[in-house]
Amino acid sequence: MRVVGQELPRVEILEKVTGQSVFGADVLPGGRVLAGKMVLSPHPHARITAIRTERAERLPGVKAVVTAADLPAIRYGRFVRDEAYFATTKARYAGDRIAAVAAVDEETAEEAARLIEVDYEVLPSVTSGLEAMAPDAPLLHEDYADYWAQPDLDRRGNVCGHKQIVRGDVERGFAEADRIFEHRFHVPMVHQTYIEPHTATARFDASGKATVWASSLALFPLRAAIAQILRMPMTKVRVIPTEIGGGFGGKLSPTVEPAAVVLARKARRPVRIVMSRSEDFQTTNPRHPFHLRYKTGVKHDGTITAREIEVVLGTGFSAGSGVMISQGAAVRAPGPYRVPNLKIDSYCVYTNTSTCGAYRGPAGPQLAFASESQMDIIARELGIDPVELRLRNAMVDGDETPAGARLEDVHAKETLLKAAEAMNAVPRPPGNNVGRGVAMAHWLVGGMASSAGVKLNEDGTVAILTGLVDLSGASTSLAQIAAEVLGVSLDDVHVRTADTDFAPHSTLSAGSQALKSMGGAVLLAAREAKRQIQQVAADKLEADPGDLELDGNTVFVKGSPERAVTLREVGQMALEHARGPIVSTQSVSQLTPHPAIAAHAAEVEVDPETGRVRILRYVAAQDVGTAVNPLSVRGQIEGGVMQGLGQALSEACTFTDGKMDNANLLDYKIFSALDAPPVEVHLVQHPCASGPLGAKGVGEPPIIPPPAVMANAVYDAVGVRIHDLPITPEKIVKALKAKRAAQR
Amino acid sequence: METPRIRITVTVNGEAVSEDVPGDRSLLDFLRDDLGLTGTKEGCGEGECGACSVIVGGRLVDACLIFAAEADGRNVETVEGLADGEVLHPLQRAFAAAGAAQCGYCTPGMLMAGKALLDRNPSPTREEAAHGIAGNLCRCTGYGTIIQAVMEAAKES
Ligand code: FES
Ligand code: FES
Repeated sequence: MRVVGQELPRVEILEKVTGQSVFGADVLPGGRVLAGKMVLSPHPHARITAIRTERAERLPGVKAVVTAADLPAIRYGRFVRDEAYFATTKARYAGDRIAAVAAVDEETAEEAARLIEVDYEVLPSVTSGLEAMAPDAPLLHEDYADYWAQPDLDRRGNVCGHKQIVRGDVERGFAEADRIFEHRFHVPMVHQTYIEPHTATARFDASGKATVWASSLALFPLRAAIAQILRMPMTKVRVIPTEIGGGFGGKLSPTVEPAAVVLARKARRPVRIVMSRSEDFQTTNPRHPFHLRYKTGVKHDGTITAREIEVVLGTGFSAGSGVMISQGAAVRAPGPYRVPNLKIDSYCVYTNTSTCGAYRGPAGPQLAFASESQMDIIARELGIDPVELRLRNAMVDGDETPAGARLEDVHAKETLLKAAEAMNAVPRPPGNNVGRGVAMAHWLVGGMASSAGVKLNEDGTVAILTGLVDLSGASTSLAQIAAEVLGVSLDDVHVRTADTDFAPHSTLSAGSQALKSMGGAVLLAAREAKRQIQQVAADKLEADPGDLELDGNTVFVKGSPERAVTLREVGQMALEHARGPIVSTQSVSQLTPHPAIAAHAAEVEVDPETGRVRILRYVAAQDVGTAVNPLSVRGQIEGGVMQGLGQALSEACTFTDGKMDNANLLDYKIFSALDAPPVEVHLVQHPCASGPLGAKGVGEPPIIPPPAVMANAVYDAVGVRIHDLPITPEKIVKALKAKRAAQR
Repeated sequence: METPRIRITVTVNGEAVSEDVPGDRSLLDFLRDDLGLTGTKEGCGEGECGACSVIVGGRLVDACLIFAAEADGRNVETVEGLADGEVLHPLQRAFAAAGAAQCGYCTPGMLMAGKALLDRNPSPTREEAAHGIAGNLCRCTGYGTIIQAVMEAAKES
């Protein structure tokens, strides 16, 4: 291949390094833009007895105040219709939307928001999923039984979803085991912490059409949500994507966009809402906190005979995508291993927090932390090398997921061996408190409905049209795929992400499937455009279309390159030709999922006095299929690892009395350049049958193993096992003290 | 309760501008809203992310933390002034080649942090490069490619 597989800078890189990219807050919608501000509940759980807006409305400079009264009274939700855009009778978390205001400037809007008076009767609240399952826990949705919901969710009380998977016979499996291990783990909520906060700009024109500039990863679902919340036809809602300053799954669900639209409608002026960092932490869609119980039976030789797994996921005040994520968690809970007997229970539980969402690799790091910590414990107890134990149980081609889907293109063993080899290539440095850890995880990359258009311009250049918001370098990869098929260079391909009025339906930029889905559509469309080009060129060259090849911006007869016509000529000829302009729009849907494996290894040094963990080396091996653009792939892996390490060692949303108490970048500690170790990336490349030109999804896997890798490395270094993320210096010091006390 | 306005004269990317600004207007809002230089980004407004980094009088500052009035009579450099016409600054070229800009939101601030570093230390070690960008958060890259780009640019300039 000529273009696919090359390390190419992103197609939009020039705008990015010159400051010309237009992000959410940079949009100029025309006319003076009002500043919008949300009014949020300060209480995690409270009955609302009155909302008075008069004082705010009277403040000079205020142009609109909106509450639930300005919207149709509907509840929405894909799995359970349990969410209203503005709270009416009850606030269910500290951050629940009560009202919104628009004013001439930021300061006036803030002042107006303060002038809105809300009477609350505070209720008991619960932020832990496990506690919310207790019979006497405060009930978030008293009327849950009356809500519309998808069937078979097994809802009761605060449990809004329960998925059970049984394969084989766990009791028999445990009976066959020589040893049984059972452990509990806890993973707190963590936040995506993209550097650009949520932002929306909206305009409402005289014809009743709403235009929304959004930094969203999901243009089409956002349009649908706005249309539903405001009860408008989709032709009256246009969502225009802006450049997006990081998302990692955190910009998939509507947040401030509907408020911006209602405010713009009422004020008859454009409105922009930019979340403050603290609002962004408290009111968006972070990673679900998990409580996990893993019980595993093994033979003396390490063969797993059974696993019984219980997962409790705190979803927040509405089900959101938590139901889907808890179902997916059940399917991936056993890890990339063959486990003949399984019983998995996964519960999705209401809690008084913001609705959690699809942070990169949803459920992945939580499950892997538990599963891979336990694999390490088992290896040590049985006296088997941790890599060897994993190899013995690793899944292979033809194995099935717990849900019964057959897996192909599994490269678990090779990927793990690559990580282990790279780590072992350098001898362990001397020192008492140095340790190494390894972990392996998988992600299942599906595919979603997507379409893309490819056309040949009259000058022989190529244009791609999609509605896919580019985050991870997808546009560049799409251009590479089209360039490959049409025999042109990357410079001759232009990719355009259009808005919902113009672009064909697009998938979300999520789940590592953007390239698989949209790449699949672009590949089909490029191939169809190629067929059309061959048809037009065939007449001119008096050859059979099937004998024509495309390369170097020309079409030529196979074997006689002198019988050629340029793509530019074809582009012009097509206009005179009976077949007309060369253009194709193609679609894909329901693609076979493929597994993608990440195996990581680390070497750490732990200071037993301070508990500080220093990462000496970090190795990430990943099974990526064909790397369409290795530069992007490596960038995704390095970035994913760093987020995973943050979750491992320092990140957690913490709550006091139901309110997040570290909603700023000083107290919520993501890695800085000083914390970041260099990452040694190793790609395992085997073309994947179900990916475009062999590519696999790459974005999610690298974030999954780091917490487990750190837990295992810390144990190896100083002999203490942390079951509760993050692995902070305080926890290590405390565990070391307890260990010394026990030895005395 | 309008804050009194002050007349300030600032040299922004080599061009002198005089404006009346409220005394409490941040340099960031001044650059973005009054001058339309939206290349400089806001990530927190509290001096914690570095997305708003610009160079004032040769020093790297968080534009969200200082008043526009404090820049009165001084030189302000922003990302818009890095390239010389069509010719990119070595840092910009190195960032592009290394894949050091993913979403690109931290990039303007990172570039200015890189420039401030290279202006005072033209050949930094890896460690010094990491320190140079330590106040700038990036959630996409993992920093490796950014540090590499700063070192590459140092070689070039
Ligand atoms: S916006 Fe200035 S430091 Fe974050
Ligand atoms: S490139 Fe996205 S925050 Fe740095």
